[in-house]
Amino acid sequence: MQRRRFIQALATAGAFASLPLASLQSLAAEAVSQAVSVNDLPALEGKLTLYLGRGEGGLYENVLQAIRDRNPKLNLSVRRGPTAALANTLIAEAKAGVQGADVFWAVDSGAIGLVTDAGLAQPLPKDLTGQLKSDFQYPSWSPVTGRIRTLPYNPDNVSLKQIPSDIMELPDSDLAIGWAPAYASFQSFITAMRLLEGEKATVDWLRRMKQRAKSYAGELGVVMAVERGEVDLGLANHYYTLRLKSGKPDARVELAFTKADAGCLVNASGVLALSEGELPINFIRYLLTREVQSYLASEAYEIPLVKGVELPEGLPSFEHISPPDMDLTRLADLRPTLALLRNVGIL
Amino acid sequence: MLTVSHLSVNYGTTRVISNLNLALAESEILMLVGPTGCGKSTILQALAGLLPISEGEVKLGAWHATPTRIVPPEKRNVGMVFQDFALFPHLTVEQNVAFRLTSKAPADHWITLLGLESLRRAKPDTLSGGQKQRVALARTLAHRPAFILLDEPLSNLDAALKDSLRWEIRDALKTAGVPAIWVTHDQEEALSIGDRVGVLNNGQLEQLDSPETCFCEPASRFVAEFLGEASFLPGQLEHGRVATALGVAPGTPVDGATGEVDLLVRPDDVSLMRATNDANGSVNWVRYEGGSRLYAVELDDGTPVKVRVSHENRIEPGERVRLAVITTHPLAVFARHQRPA
Amino acid sequence: MRRWSRFYPFALIIALLALVPVGVLFALAGDAAELFDAHNLNVLISTLLLMVLTVIGATLIGVPLALFTAYVQLPAKRLWLIVLAAPLAMPSYIGAFTLYAAFGPGGEIESLLGIPTPPVNGLAGATLVMTLYTYPFVLLTTRASLLSLDAGMVNAARTLGMSLSMSLWRVVLPRVVTGIAAGGLLAAMYTLSDFGTPAIMRVDTFTRVIYTEYNAFGLSQAAMLSLQLLAIVGLVLFLESRVKGTQERPGRRLAFWPSRWQASAMLAIVAPVTLLAIVLPLLIFTLWLLRDGAGGFELSYAWNSIYASLLAAVVAVILAVPVAHAAISGRLGRIMERVTYLGFGVPGIVMGTALVYVGLQLPWLYQTLALLVVAYVLRFLPLAVGSVRATAEGLDGSLMQAARVLGASPREAFMRITLPLTLRGMVAGGALVFLESMRELPATLLLGPNDFETLATYLWRVYEAGYFGRAAIPGLLLVLMSGLGLALMLCGERRGVFDASEDQRH
Repeated sequence: MQRRRFIQALATAGAFASLPLASLQSLAAEAVSQAVSVNDLPALEGKLTLYLGRGEGGLYENVLQAIRDRNPKLNLSVRRGPTAALANTLIAEAKAGVQGADVFWAVDSGAIGLVTDAGLAQPLPKDLTGQLKSDFQYPSWSPVTGRIRTLPYNPDNVSLKQIPSDIMELPDSDLAIGWAPAYASFQSFITAMRLLEGEKATVDWLRRMKQRAKSYAGELGVVMAVERGEVDLGLANHYYTLRLKSGKPDARVELAFTKADAGCLVNASGVLALSEGELPINFIRYLLTREVQSYLASEAYEIPLVKGVELPEGLPSFEHISPPDMDLTRLADLRPTLALLRNVGIL
Repeated sequence: MLTVSHLSVNYGTTRVISNLNLALAESEILMLVGPTGCGKSTILQALAGLLPISEGEVKLGAWHATPTRIVPPEKRNVGMVFQDFALFPHLTVEQNVAFRLTSKAPADHWITLLGLESLRRAKPDTLSGGQKQRVALARTLAHRPAFILLDEPLSNLDAALKDSLRWEIRDALKTAGVPAIWVTHDQEEALSIGDRVGVLNNGQLEQLDSPETCFCEPASRFVAEFLGEASFLPGQLEHGRVATALGVAPGTPVDGATGEVDLLVRPDDVSLMRATNDANGSVNWVRYEGGSRLYAVELDDGTPVKVRVSHENRIEPGERVRLAVITTHPLAVFARHQRPA
Repeated sequence: MRRWSRFYPFALIIALLALVPVGVLFALAGDAAELFDAHNLNVLISTLLLMVLTVIGATLIGVPLALFTAYVQLPAKRLWLIVLAAPLAMPSYIGAFTLYAAFGPGGEIESLLGIPTPPVNGLAGATLVMTLYTYPFVLLTTRASLLSLDAGMVNAARTLGMSLSMSLWRVVLPRVVTGIAAGGLLAAMYTLSDFGTPAIMRVDTFTRVIYTEYNAFGLSQAAMLSLQLLAIVGLVLFLESRVKGTQERPGRRLAFWPSRWQASAMLAIVAPVTLLAIVLPLLIFTLWLLRDGAGGFELSYAWNSIYASLLAAVVAVILAVPVAHAAISGRLGRIMERVTYLGFGVPGIVMGTALVYVGLQLPWLYQTLALLVVAYVLRFLPLAVGSVRATAEGLDGSLMQAARVLGASPREAFMRITLPLTLRGMVAGGALVFLESMRELPATLLLGPNDFETLATYLWRVYEAGYFGRAAIPGLLLVLMSGLGLALMLCGERRGVFDASEDQRH
């Protein structure tokens, strides 16, 4: 059912979007423009091997299937696996001189960073990277969709006023928090905090949070716990809440955001080209089209990072928050974060 | 002809068989008998090539095995009948007997001869013990071995069955004309079936002779005691005659005994009568054997004697009796053993 | 016992193959920093605790069930056995997640039926889940041992005045100690290498730490931790080999015919286990299926699963034969057999990565189905070896002797006598490998060909993304296929055919 809708969306032109995701300063400077449509792209032909870091239970599959349907001469071979495993595989393959993949689509920028640091990514043309919102333009990889760190809360137990807008003040509130320290996005969030606020402040924050925080296996669990009332507030990616609410519209959970700090970090899934030639690049262009981006926004509740595409329903307008300015590939520096979490006794 | 010379077999570090010598003649059935643990089965395993030998050699025409020169079982053309039958459970009787045979004729021959015709397609687990052993025998004979080894083939069967099957096996072996070494712990079996009997004690062959010789002229006390009830009367040997408390009898010394000797008497070498004033012993116990009675008597000088009499004579334990030696043929004489007090 | 078995060269090659991933791990761990620190100690304790508790739990459930399925004569006995062994079919993390979601305040049970339930999490929850999904190992091995015992001793004990339960406890169970230990070993190793359950239940075990490191791109650290985990595995293997049982000839089997009342009582005791392990997860999935709807599932996933698992089963059995017979032949063979057990204790993701490195050395092998089958075999070979060895050990030695004496060379005797008679063990071992391969995940993701989707990988995909309803169909299919595999394994058992026991008629 979703597939049909998406293919229809590809066939017709997307809606005109006007809410940019950049920081307040760039808002003014940003020219409102249309995103590229699939109709403008050349047909894909030949063999392409994609390593896909996450399947989204079928949504990414729909994207891939639609691309296949539109390009009958394309022989697309997909390998799915956990993102870290695939990144390690790419590095191993490069060491052995084997070209396994042409394109790598990863769930988070850390993995992307690992691969680009190893020098395996092909540079992307400027017109491609130029489609992305200004804070999300990188020379050798392209973010696809974003996820923003949020604070889901239970409106029955907590009012919006009780929630601080500075993440570093969170331990001072007397709210019961739920988090998932083993989850990759959480670790990226702490890495960002480490890079923005410094190690000492981060350790301090963690220590104080530990006393009021309850651990869950994953962030979906965190959101479910908030909804059940087990905790007052959670730390999770935005789409878990949106997805929960789409299945259960009267669920008792709402989203809150901090301002301009690691607490509202926008992390992104990313894609990079590993082999030379036009085909991988053109494939990446497909992922940045209006149709794909708005599909992912409306079905997977992810944040489109291409200029000119609407945000998913349920996310408030972005005048009130500003994500921190950060080179996402630096989030690959995970090991010190892990050491930190371990020292404090959270991991 | 199978020749075994100076054969010794070790099991780990223990010597189980020492210095065994024997030669198996054509169509001969040689019984190997002895108490449990004396190494009888080990000999068979060594002769079959299933156990390595430590010293000596085994020779049979075409092959010749020594400690260094290994001849595997499949090259020895030996046949073996096992105590637990060792029938292949997944094959029928027919397939068991004809295992590895290129022509089915010998298999059919033996199946018919041993009365297994109706069981051709049966699987071993449906057979009785006696039937299984017949199948095992048929299987062995159908392969026309140069010699056959039987490892206590009847010990897993009922007493009633043992007797008839015993003779069946002997007949089959004689019909086939194959020499065999048959191991048993049943001395009655050894004496009745074998052409020759070998008595083993702790891995050593104490005597290898015809059954009669072994019984009447035992080479050692052990053989004497093993092959039937044996009583030893102390006496004085002089000029081929031994004077004992029960009378005088001709005696042949076995181990160079002279002077003070022990005379071997079997239960039917002595007569027993109820007596009052000329008694020389008292009855300890009586065993009724159907056609005869076996009396265990303690002589007045303390010697225990066993006497077998016809069943008509009935004397109770505790009664006083008179015993006398009644044989005229020579009895075996051994050096005197001091009896423990 | 032969001094140098013919099987040794083959077993040696296979043992060396089993060591290859370990070697790769050493190479990968080369540049890892610390060897051990205080945090690791906590993790070590949690891991050992979970393992020991799981083994105890699996034994407490598995042994009575083994007695039940071996000795009690009930109608549809085979069906009972399949149902009781069915948890082998379910990936444990699926069970973990459904139990976690079903119980507790806010869980499905409470929201649907209004019955408050305690939450399932932490060490207790993890133990419960691991126990439910590993007790079939103990059940199957113990049952095999029980079936090869002679009932005569129990009858003797009872005539001497011992009650039935006492005689079972004191006369039967001590003799199946090796069987129980073998099953316990498998349960322990499965627990050591499992990641999903501790993660969901929030217990910090070695595998969780390994995965965390792995996902943080600390490959060398993950390799180093895996080697430490392997040290624990080695210790467990050593302990299990110390368990010595008695070798005895099979005899009459014990059989009980329960009254209707007793049968119902037994059913009542047995039911909760199956309920929790199989019925509940499937019900929950069906619930989510009805709520969210299925989509995106294709039958080819099932074919892929079956095909790869079947290949793995066949290859594993072929390799298991020389290893098992070498293990019986002597001490050296036993050591080689133990070495092949290492694969079962290595977490799948690590085994997968190690084999990626190996596979890359042979580019024609890389990302082919063959490499995936190799991974399955290296991981699950011990299951086949244990089964073949148990059957081969029970073979009457005089059968081989008889064959040799009848003129068969050792090779011919083996092919015509030993192999057919151990067929049952081989089928059972193959079925176990089949089951485990069906539910294997990490190695499949890393090593199979591109676009190779199995039931397990699809299950992971939808579970990871939160579309739980879609897990119902592959979950059901997994249980169904594996149930068929189990049925096949048990079909090979026919009462008394291959026993070398005496019967009572003469």
